[in-house]
Amino acid sequence: MAETQTMPAARPVSTRRNTTFFSRNKLVIMPLVFIAPALAMFSLFVIWPILQSISLSFTEWQGIGPKKWVGLSNYRYLFSDPVFWTSLVNNIYWLVLFLLAPVFGLLVALFLNQTVFGIRLVKSLFFFPFVVSQIVVGLVFAWFYDPAFGLLATILEPFGIEFPPILADEDWATFGIIVAGLWPQTAYCMILYLTGLNSVNPEMIEAARLDGAKGWRLLVKIVLPQLRAATFIALVVTVIGALRSFDLVAVMTEGGPYNSSNVLAYYMYDNAIFRYRMGYASAIATVLFMIMNVYIIWFLLRLWKNEKGAR
Amino acid sequence: MADVVLKDVRKSFGAVDVIKGVDLEAKHGEFVVFVGPSGCGKSTLLRMICGLEKITSGQLLIGDEDMSDVEASDRGTAMVFQSYALYPHMSVADNMSFGLRMAKTPQKVVESRVKKAAEILQITHLLDRKPKDMSGGQRQRVAIGRAIVREPKVFLFDEPLSNLDAELRVQMRVELSKLHNEIGATMIYVTHDQVEAMTMADKIVVLRDGRIEQIGSPLDLYMSPDNKFVAGFIGSPRMNFLRAQIVGSANGHAQVSVPDAPDHVLHIPLRDAADVSTGQEVTIGIRPEHFLGTPEGPGLKVTIDVVENLGGIAYAYGRTNAMQDVILKAESETPPRSGMAVTASINDAYCHLFDKEGRTLSTSAGAIRSQDAAA
Repeated sequence: MAETQTMPAARPVSTRRNTTFFSRNKLVIMPLVFIAPALAMFSLFVIWPILQSISLSFTEWQGIGPKKWVGLSNYRYLFSDPVFWTSLVNNIYWLVLFLLAPVFGLLVALFLNQTVFGIRLVKSLFFFPFVVSQIVVGLVFAWFYDPAFGLLATILEPFGIEFPPILADEDWATFGIIVAGLWPQTAYCMILYLTGLNSVNPEMIEAARLDGAKGWRLLVKIVLPQLRAATFIALVVTVIGALRSFDLVAVMTEGGPYNSSNVLAYYMYDNAIFRYRMGYASAIATVLFMIMNVYIIWFLLRLWKNEKGAR
Repeated sequence: MADVVLKDVRKSFGAVDVIKGVDLEAKHGEFVVFVGPSGCGKSTLLRMICGLEKITSGQLLIGDEDMSDVEASDRGTAMVFQSYALYPHMSVADNMSFGLRMAKTPQKVVESRVKKAAEILQITHLLDRKPKDMSGGQRQRVAIGRAIVREPKVFLFDEPLSNLDAELRVQMRVELSKLHNEIGATMIYVTHDQVEAMTMADKIVVLRDGRIEQIGSPLDLYMSPDNKFVAGFIGSPRMNFLRAQIVGSANGHAQVSVPDAPDHVLHIPLRDAADVSTGQEVTIGIRPEHFLGTPEGPGLKVTIDVVENLGGIAYAYGRTNAMQDVILKAESETPPRSGMAVTASINDAYCHLFDKEGRTLSTSAGAIRSQDAAA
């Protein structure tokens, strides 16, 4: 930046013609002009609500009426709330198990990345859950799990196995929802990996084959390093997706039974909308936001480093 | 030693036959070039030798061993690809040593081989770099280095120079020839560029449509092509082809008249006098440099369209009265100008004669001369 500003000064011949402030600082002003609308919108609809939520978390408020400043008492209450801890642990389950999505996605992508008759149809079938709304996914899986007439119960019945009512079981409800969530998430990762595989030079794979790399070693040493960008995005999207899991919980169990399948995002919603505890909900939101920040900052740092490397 | 022998090798993709029966022998240490227009199957043939494509039928021997069904990595071949196909996430040294490490070669051997190959190719200073930080020519060297460290019996090159700019291509051509002399291994090289074939090969294999059209030394192919296709493909600028007619034959020579040069009857020596009959429609072929530079007298009347002056020589592109395209070699210092009408007298000692199917009927003086030189 400093260089671009001093350049006209170093060449007096060109300054004689372009003397307006704008023409001299064009390289600084124009980017700002282009960024400004997005920046304004982002500040208004993202930054400002974040700040508002954080400040709200220090108050007690029913949504209408006066706000009462309570300091850190929402947080104090939060950390002694067993439902908060259940939700947090569930979120960790989500996070860990959701990491299977990139793995499955890669496997499916490797399977689909071949030229066989009809592979396009198969690809679009695998793509399908990604297009479907999360609500629909939740409903479909809820029907799968239905202990009376559900798909799984019906399949297992002839074998004399009674399918347990997963979503009504405190120990299993969360995992039942996570499996449902993995379905579209795997499809998403698969798309990322398919695009990545498309850009791998086939001659390089052949060279590796001539070099004696086969199967697992070919995948790990040659193919996977080419998919680093895809893996990075898949990881970030999956982690964020796991932390903000909400709609599936809302549709399938509403956090139950006895809050055993609750997650932070749903608990926040529950407190705000059904219990009118805006301050408390904001405190949950703030905690969730801080956890996410860890990943977002990691993501931004990586992105920044890559950008620098590309220059 | 490491001869490469192909016996009636065929390849089909489904119902499409790509290689239609190839018999070929590359002796140990020979530099063999496969050349042909795109789609002729030359790359497929190379990929069959290295094992990237299965051989549908026939036999492949490398150094007397049947390799037809052996894994690509166990055939003792190494390939250099057109796109270099380097591993972008590895340093040059890792790129070159990857194959050896896959084969669990002791670390010391790996290091010394990489070092030696890097010295041969003068890329020692690049060993720690990543492919993306190198120029095309440097990447090409690394790709060749990756082949060298494996110490293969046979080197395979798939159009390795076509991604380089013209100047670098000439330089790499010379270096590859030098490398071949230095290493002495069998090399098989695929190109569509007949200049590369002419300059580098001990033996050229001209392919068309999955079949071998002719095998021979560069000069053989240039001087006595077996058919019109080879005649047209080898040589740059290409050979001129003119419609002509047999007007008689005597003493093993055909008397040929060219409609565009009615005052000049050519006497062309024949391979077999029984092949021709009076009145037969034929094609004569003559290279741009084999016209005699006489401004007057009998010959082909040519109107010049364009002159390309290369400094050392010039080529004039023109048309005969019957609108047949002709290329003439000309003096670069006194080239003809476009629009000029010139008389090109045909040197019948260097004339080739082809029948309607494109088979060569003549045995040109040039061919006799090159055979004398070989003997």
